[in-house]
Amino acid sequence: MIRMLLRVLGHQHARPVRRTVALMTAAAVVEGLSYALLVPVLRALFDGDAAGARPWLIAFGAAVAVYAVLRYVSDLSGFRVGTTLLRGTYRRLGDHLARLPIGWYGPGRVGEVSLLAGRGVLRAMSVIAHVLAPYVSAAVTPLTIVAVLLAVNWQMGLAALLAAPVVAGIQLWTGRATAAADAERHHRDRQAADRVVEYLQAQPVLRASGRTVERFGLLDGSLRELQRASRRSMLSALPGILGLSLTVQAILTALLVLGTYLALGGAIGPAEVLTVLVLATRCADPLLSLGDIGGQLRGARADLAELDTLLRTPPLPEPREPVEPAGHDLEFDAVTFRHGDRTVIDDLSLTLPEGRRLAVVGPSGAGKSTLLQLLARFHDVAAGAIRVGGTDVRAVDTQALMARFAIVFQDVYLFDGTIEENVRLGRTDATEAEVRAAATAARLDEVIERLPDGWATAVGEGGALLSGGERQRVSIARALLKDAPIVLLDEVTSALDPVNEAAVHQGIERLMAGRTVVMAAHRLRTVRSADHIVFLDGGRVVEEGTHDELLRRGGRYAAFWDLSMASAE
Amino acid sequence: MSDTRPDSGTVAGLLRPHAGAFAALVLLQVIGALAGLAPLLAVAELGRALLSPGPVDRAHVWFVVLAGLAGLLVRLLFSAASSGIGHLLDGQVQLAFRRRLAAHLGRVPIGWFSRRSTGEPAKVVGEDVSAVHPFIAHTPGELVSAFVVPTASLVYLFTVDWRLTLITLIPVLLAVALVPLMTAPARQREQREFDAAMGRIAGSVVEFVQGIAVVKAFGGAGRTHRRFLTATDEFAGTFLRWARGLAPIAAGMQTALSPPFVLLVVLAGGTVLIAGGGLAPADLLPFLLLGLGLTAPVAALGHGFDDLRAARSAVGRIRDVLAVQPLPEPARPLTARGHRIELRDVRFGYDPGREVLRGIDLVLEPGTSTAIVGPSGSGKSTLVQLLPRFFDPTHGSITLGGVDLRELGSGQLYRTLSFVFQDVRLLRASVADNIALAVPEAGRDQVIRAARLADVHDRILRLPRGYDTVLDEEAGLSRGEAQRIAIARALLADTPVLVLDEATAFADPRTEQAIRHALATLRGDRTIVVIAHRLETIADADTVVLLDDGAIVERGTPAELLSRDGRFAAFWRSHRGDELR
Repeated sequence: MIRMLLRVLGHQHARPVRRTVALMTAAAVVEGLSYALLVPVLRALFDGDAAGARPWLIAFGAAVAVYAVLRYVSDLSGFRVGTTLLRGTYRRLGDHLARLPIGWYGPGRVGEVSLLAGRGVLRAMSVIAHVLAPYVSAAVTPLTIVAVLLAVNWQMGLAALLAAPVVAGIQLWTGRATAAADAERHHRDRQAADRVVEYLQAQPVLRASGRTVERFGLLDGSLRELQRASRRSMLSALPGILGLSLTVQAILTALLVLGTYLALGGAIGPAEVLTVLVLATRCADPLLSLGDIGGQLRGARADLAELDTLLRTPPLPEPREPVEPAGHDLEFDAVTFRHGDRTVIDDLSLTLPEGRRLAVVGPSGAGKSTLLQLLARFHDVAAGAIRVGGTDVRAVDTQALMARFAIVFQDVYLFDGTIEENVRLGRTDATEAEVRAAATAARLDEVIERLPDGWATAVGEGGALLSGGERQRVSIARALLKDAPIVLLDEVTSALDPVNEAAVHQGIERLMAGRTVVMAAHRLRTVRSADHIVFLDGGRVVEEGTHDELLRRGGRYAAFWDLSMASAE
Repeated sequence: MSDTRPDSGTVAGLLRPHAGAFAALVLLQVIGALAGLAPLLAVAELGRALLSPGPVDRAHVWFVVLAGLAGLLVRLLFSAASSGIGHLLDGQVQLAFRRRLAAHLGRVPIGWFSRRSTGEPAKVVGEDVSAVHPFIAHTPGELVSAFVVPTASLVYLFTVDWRLTLITLIPVLLAVALVPLMTAPARQREQREFDAAMGRIAGSVVEFVQGIAVVKAFGGAGRTHRRFLTATDEFAGTFLRWARGLAPIAAGMQTALSPPFVLLVVLAGGTVLIAGGGLAPADLLPFLLLGLGLTAPVAALGHGFDDLRAARSAVGRIRDVLAVQPLPEPARPLTARGHRIELRDVRFGYDPGREVLRGIDLVLEPGTSTAIVGPSGSGKSTLVQLLPRFFDPTHGSITLGGVDLRELGSGQLYRTLSFVFQDVRLLRASVADNIALAVPEAGRDQVIRAARLADVHDRILRLPRGYDTVLDEEAGLSRGEAQRIAIARALLADTPVLVLDEATAFADPRTEQAIRHALATLRGDRTIVVIAHRLETIADADTVVLLDDGAIVERGTPAELLSRDGRFAAFWRSHRGDELR
């Protein structure tokens, strides 16, 4: 577990962690050893010799002082290391999340990652700050006491020593026995969290369908599953806790009986027996607490394992010696891409010279959006290559690659901030005038005029407080501000009413001017002006050519066009 | 779930049904803990017997040892039983809390959600309920061992020697003197900051993950990434301040309560008393054995504090959510006659001072279709969202079949209305369940018929497990396909009123056709309200309502409006020009 912890933390933290553990161990050993001084003290006192006890008592006092100092220092060190680790882990997590391919971000990830980043990281880190010290002390102090016992009376010391392998065995066994049930509970926990998020986000449609919680079995089912899994995980830990308790009490019993027997037989003095029994009860409490502490450690273990898995998920590989693409022409060279076991793009080849416009048309699910995403390297291809300016995108530094693209997505996601902040995302160092110009070009200015706080209007999580058309204009302004040589448009004008569409269209025209453009579209009006059109179905190019060529051919594109015109009239 | 007791919404009310089990748990814990004292008393008694001058009474010694063993056994059994009950109870209480919270969140106004990130209420249902765990599973046991055992010990020790008892209490007093420092206002403020910082992390990470595509497109140093890092840095800082503020006090307390220190004090006192001849050496033993237990209450306060405090803040947040006023349900719901919908002088604003709808009068007659058109931001979406009571109007009334929506049971409202929203939300459930969302009892053949009508049947058959495919898990659908599922949903619901936000433009031509087809199928006695974007839909409507800036500026049949040559006609022409360009 420590090894996994160190891996998650990164190796620069290994030394402070080891030093902290060493300090904690030292404090525990000093505590155990200090009890050795009780032997002469008690022997003298039980013999009624108070004066003889005094020097030993003073020595004991000195040992306690050393213990207190060591403990304070190790506590502080634990906190400090814990905080450094917390910060470091969050940083690593954040950087890693930003580098993972978009493809990794499936629908279930939001709940999973937020749970992990919230409670998970904290719980994993609090192992060091809170749990490690008691754990070390609960394991090391009794062991030291047993050594002291051995020195006082070997028979009773040996009896106490017998407990050590049993206790260690039980700890190990519990750790293993509970692993499966804990993992199960963890999994259910995550599932329930996803369901809760889904339930909350789907409130509009659920309500409109009359599905309040009573009739929404999915959520209730996952909550019940969670309860069942918690129960199973509790039951799986029970034998360990009981076994530990039983062992400790059995040894205590054995020492009591053995001590009584030895004392009655005269093999050992009463003072020795009583001292040993006092020391033995000192072992019992820490050992019993091992059960509880073990539970907390196991809780952290699951989080840690998850964190470890996440951090070990390979990000998109960065080139060791990045190449700067020359030019902005685009090329798909025998590209295949799979999502799970479904082939989304199937051996597709395409080229687009710099400054030209390519339109990708086809039924939904044909792979249009994926094609765009592959260009911006949201995923890596399974076979073939995608080249920008003649350079494989995998050989280009991610930042440099992204700098070449301005992307307008089908779903516009805005961040919970002001409109201005969302537009500025395009280029953070843009001047006031540039931001205003981009907004005007995207006809966002009319929207802003209508809003109560103008530029400073908050848009809500995901841009919820703006309409679809308004959100789209923000995203176009953002792309205009970015001023990148290649423009990717993913069904941009689709969500809009005619008024918005006309406005957005103007913005898009300005965005496209003089740039290399790839647009996925089904509103064929936008498509007509493209230099080249490909009709995609099942991840393959079925037809390609200019609008007029394709119409003349009378194939799939022509049928699509007719359908589209028919519904427009 | 249909709990009608007035207190069922409060935390105490939720706990009440479990009071019996809770009492049993505490009782078992008390017996177990007291029995645990037996072996310690046995050692003390053994000491007296062995150290007393003269021959040892062997029978007495063995009886004492046996009594100690019996005590150990009782303790083992009772503590185990109590802990078991505690954890089972804990599971039940958490389930009850979560159900209650979910049910409540299902009734608060939709507007409440749009003002906060989803992460917040999700955290309450998930983490905050989990934080109650120690409160139920551990606290009773801790409290018993913290108070019952020390009290019993104290009484016994006083009977042995009152002076040494007082000396033994010195470490406890030292530690108690430090307690106020732990609950000082500064500490409490740090705790609040700690909780707030934690909430910000949850919020920023949801945003970070959801917006990852944008973050990527605009470079890794995007805003959310920074925001996430800022939130985490803040949190780490708060955590360190919190820990630093607490560390010296905690260390002082822990040292005072640590076994070596307590033993030191007892031995020092004992040495003095024995030297003065006021204490029999054998009487020192009980103090060495039981004296450590006296520190338990303070130790528990210090140690259990974190958990308890966390549980308390969590319960506070749970209470806050439960305290949000749900949309009022009528005490005695009225029954609608027919499904004529009438809006009378309806005004509404999301924020006070900014009205989105400014006095809407509108009648939706059964068997008619109404197209609502207007520029974006004119209030079209808001208007239709008042129909399912996502919000209640701030002024005026909406009636269905002559009954105000607020007087109508929500069951009846949803049996009358169905919706196809612009943002299609599919659930992580089977395709069939998604289609049958509003009519879970529908048979498979009905589901298939609806899917066929919505022209999505073929696509569903191509999914890995057809209608049983779990969406998102096994397969995703494109936007247009999702839209068609939503149409199938509405077709299956088969309600007399259908409200459709015509985001047909979202879909491909095939989906557009499906929608047109569905609309044609649905006509008849149905009331149809469409937020219309397409000329064809508008032309087919019986009535067109042109909305601008929250008010109806023109209404009539499409032909009338065109001949009037006003705003609508201009709108129509601009649109037409667009289409033909």
